[in-house]
Amino acid sequence: MSTTLTAPRRSRALPAPATGARRRRVLHWIATHAIAVALAIMFAGPVVLVGLTALMTDEQALTTNLWPESWNWSNFADVFAKSHLLTWTLNTLMYAGLGTLFMLVSSIPVAYALARFRFRGRKLAFLLVITTMMLPPQVVAVPIYLIWARFGLTETLWPLILPMLLGDAFSIFLLRQFLLTIPREYTDAARVDGCSDFRTLVRVILPMARPAIAAVALFQFFYCWNDYYGPLLYTWINQDNWTLSLGLSTFKAFHSVQWNLTMAATLLVTAPVIIVFFFAQRVFIEGVTLTGVKG
Amino acid sequence: MRFVPLAVAGLTVLALTACTAGKEAPPSLGAQPKPSGSASQALPAATIELWHGFQTDAEVKAFEEAIAGFNKKFPQITVKTTKAVQDDQITQAIRSGKAPDVAASFTTDNVALWCKTGAFQDLTAVVKQDGIDLSVLPAASRSYTEFEGKRCMMPLLADAYGMFYNKALMKGNEPPKTLSELTRLTKELTVRDPDGTIKVAGFISSFQYYENSPSHLAPMVGAKWYNDDGTSAIGSDPAWKQLLTWQKELVDWYGYANLEKFRRSLGDEWGSAHPFFKGKVAMIVDGEWRNAMIANDSKAKSLDYGTAPLPVADDKPDLYGSGFTAGTVIGVPKGAKNPQHAWELIKHLTTDTDSLVTLSNALRNVPTTKAAMESPRLAADANFKTFLDIFAHPKTSTLPASVNSVFNQDSLSTFLVTWEKGAVKDLDAGLKGVDKRINDKLKLSGG
Amino acid sequence: MRARPKRREGLRALLWLSPWIAGFSIFFAYPLASTVYFSFTNYNMFTLEFVGLDNWRYLLQDDRVWVSAKNTLWLVVFMVPAQVVFSIGVAQLLTKLKTGVGFFRTLFYLPTLVPMVAGTVAFVFLLNPVGPVNQILSWVGIAGPDWFGDPSWSKPSLTALAVWGCGNTMVIFLAALLDVPKHMYEAAAIDGAGAWRQFRSITLPTIAPVLMFSLVTAVIYALQYFTQAMIASRVASGATDSAGSSFTPGYPEGSLLTLPQWFFHAAFRDSNMGYGSVLALLLFATSMIFTLILLRQFRKAEEVHS
Repeated sequence: MSTTLTAPRRSRALPAPATGARRRRVLHWIATHAIAVALAIMFAGPVVLVGLTALMTDEQALTTNLWPESWNWSNFADVFAKSHLLTWTLNTLMYAGLGTLFMLVSSIPVAYALARFRFRGRKLAFLLVITTMMLPPQVVAVPIYLIWARFGLTETLWPLILPMLLGDAFSIFLLRQFLLTIPREYTDAARVDGCSDFRTLVRVILPMARPAIAAVALFQFFYCWNDYYGPLLYTWINQDNWTLSLGLSTFKAFHSVQWNLTMAATLLVTAPVIIVFFFAQRVFIEGVTLTGVKG
Repeated sequence: MRFVPLAVAGLTVLALTACTAGKEAPPSLGAQPKPSGSASQALPAATIELWHGFQTDAEVKAFEEAIAGFNKKFPQITVKTTKAVQDDQITQAIRSGKAPDVAASFTTDNVALWCKTGAFQDLTAVVKQDGIDLSVLPAASRSYTEFEGKRCMMPLLADAYGMFYNKALMKGNEPPKTLSELTRLTKELTVRDPDGTIKVAGFISSFQYYENSPSHLAPMVGAKWYNDDGTSAIGSDPAWKQLLTWQKELVDWYGYANLEKFRRSLGDEWGSAHPFFKGKVAMIVDGEWRNAMIANDSKAKSLDYGTAPLPVADDKPDLYGSGFTAGTVIGVPKGAKNPQHAWELIKHLTTDTDSLVTLSNALRNVPTTKAAMESPRLAADANFKTFLDIFAHPKTSTLPASVNSVFNQDSLSTFLVTWEKGAVKDLDAGLKGVDKRINDKLKLSGG
Repeated sequence: MRARPKRREGLRALLWLSPWIAGFSIFFAYPLASTVYFSFTNYNMFTLEFVGLDNWRYLLQDDRVWVSAKNTLWLVVFMVPAQVVFSIGVAQLLTKLKTGVGFFRTLFYLPTLVPMVAGTVAFVFLLNPVGPVNQILSWVGIAGPDWFGDPSWSKPSLTALAVWGCGNTMVIFLAALLDVPKHMYEAAAIDGAGAWRQFRSITLPTIAPVLMFSLVTAVIYALQYFTQAMIASRVASGATDSAGSSFTPGYPEGSLLTLPQWFFHAAFRDSNMGYGSVLALLLFATSMIFTLILLRQFRKAEEVHS
């Protein structure tokens, strides 16, 4: 009996090496989380410092004091009052909104054709899509600029928006990658039912590709929001058509040493992106993963 | 190989599109014979666009007032102005056929390009037609508004560069007349911590400091930018070497690192934190407009300061009193919709004595015509008068027009940064290198 | 009979692809051909003259091209690996975390969303000689440099910015790392393989394709490096942008000059479309080399797929 009594004791003693493993696990937990927290500070630090500066007076922003002596929330209002932030925002929204819409209308069919149709030169077409996607925008800038100059559309945002009607390489690429993952059976079934290509696309493909479409739409929108080179090239001479990027890039110059306002403007330009992100985080992360291309 | 047909097709299209960007231009100036009699008043009503570089509220207001004076003469012409326009924007607008009727630039850097390429219309014909005597303009102003015989600009107001000094910081010393005096005073007036940290600088001898561009300082030694054929004279004119050697010696006296640290800690050039306003530097090279900025700054206006011509090389005393000048230029871009109206506005702004004097009084820039300079209405206190005299000095020079003006200045400035730093072993070779860059570029642009 | 539907499919594909074909011709093929043409001309959008090889000859004399090339090489050799290694590291850490993964992942990703211009402006401020970062460094007794004003620190500063915003690469690696079968690690652990061995013999081979892809794209983006460098130069130099000033990219001392910027300056600021076209073609050639490598990757990937 005693053995049966001791047995559990012994078996209780058994976890002894396990406590070592547990301690290792705890240490491991602490170590990894410590690194994570350190990284978190590194990633968040700049934003915090920018936020603090945005609330300082302009005199304090030039000092080495990091904590605002007074909290000047009115700086944000000042940014609107002292710059054309509202105009810039509207322009950016127009560029990003129309650009995204046009891109979707034109790129989805192309991606669909590349993913579904069998035709000669299909591979070549796909390779060309990648080539144009990777092409530095500067390479063909001169002739394209001349084309738009001919139509009198330089100094507007149209040279950046209208080409979206003819497909965007990156979006085509991404959509195609996704559409390839949709099993052929679905489209074949639709075909058997006598659906036209168009109906197949609308009825079968679009509902299934919703996450990918959402992702490319978001990417396109953010790309436009971010774009500096395009607006710099085309709308530089006309302040009425500046976008947020362009406006922000000259902000410090026009408001010389007012770092506080510059930082407030920086935050204002960033905020909408972050807000959108929180609503569409999953779509976003999945989309990014899609760009990674598994081998 | 699939590209070949495409390329051929492309080249054909290109032949059709390449040469003329933009749309058909409206008739240019002087193309039609002018109706006789009081033609100007007979101009039909129109709205013309004017781009200018003025930026601060005070400047813009003064300029609008000058235009209001024009409107008294021509009530039927409405002038729509756009402020804070840069040269890049002007050039690009002309390229894309979206030019305004009138454009004014703060620099003379692009005049050569604009004249040579016809980006701005040649005013020679209308100047002659309207019987304007250009000899009322000083030679320097005449030269920076034309290129290779094409007068495509008129000088609106001029800038002259001289020395500003803070009387309190000068400790009773007179402003320096020669470079060696400037060196002596700088050493005397600079306040430093034992570790070399500069508290107050006598004179900041770095070319990187705000207005210390090579073009502004060159008149101190009478250095020449170009040979007659347009090639660079920087490597062959010993004056440059004189300037650089003097300047480097003073930089080394501070210690480059100390001077850089000090320079970077200075406030913004266009704000109220300007080191001269704050009493951080005793002597600066600056344009006459600094007078107005000091007067308009709530704190700096009580500053007790004086102005003087630039100190000059000890062996060239005859240069004393001269300086650098450039100025605002104004013209009619190619593609202006109402060139005749535009010309009337330019004529008024650049030759009407009343208008020039009013503008000069408000902006504290140097008026360009002789009549305006001698006008009793011109507010000329002693500090401003210095610049009128510099402007009128026969040895006063400007940066000669060159198609690559910006590039060339940048080439020299880039070299100067390495020079100041002490990274240049052989000054002659370095300057020859600058020559080569300028000349190579000249060959490329076809002069 | 069998050939007909196929041919029809080809025609249908042509119809569906037509917007892209038009786009490709108008915005790629034609402009590329005319860029070649312009490279033999002296063109400032006002006057055009044929100058033969002058522009190409000038390319060899233009020291800024070499400066740009050297800077780009630096970016490829230091910034790209820094970014990739850091991303793998962070992704790896995320796979090891037991709690708060979602929180940390989101937090690490957020900087990526900060618009490039905003991020760059912010970094130039944070890293200014008397700015917050140097202030913090001074607390631990380090005298921070003038990050964006010192030619030897400007590129590392931009690398810091790039590393800060490495979220996209991180997410890609995270997905790849999570694809590595868990049991392989367990088996390796039983064999007594340490963390580094596990990483080298299991993780690395599995994520190799993704790694390769990320590296090549990162290199291509490095060749296109424009916005951040341009903004950093602009803001740090204090170029006032006021009327009458002209800005030449590259501050400080050309250390941030890259080919795309030099092209932009030559063609659109210096009105030298002809020479600009030469620079554009140079850019095209170099990025094409890496694009071809990328295409090979893709072809391999496609073969695995089908």
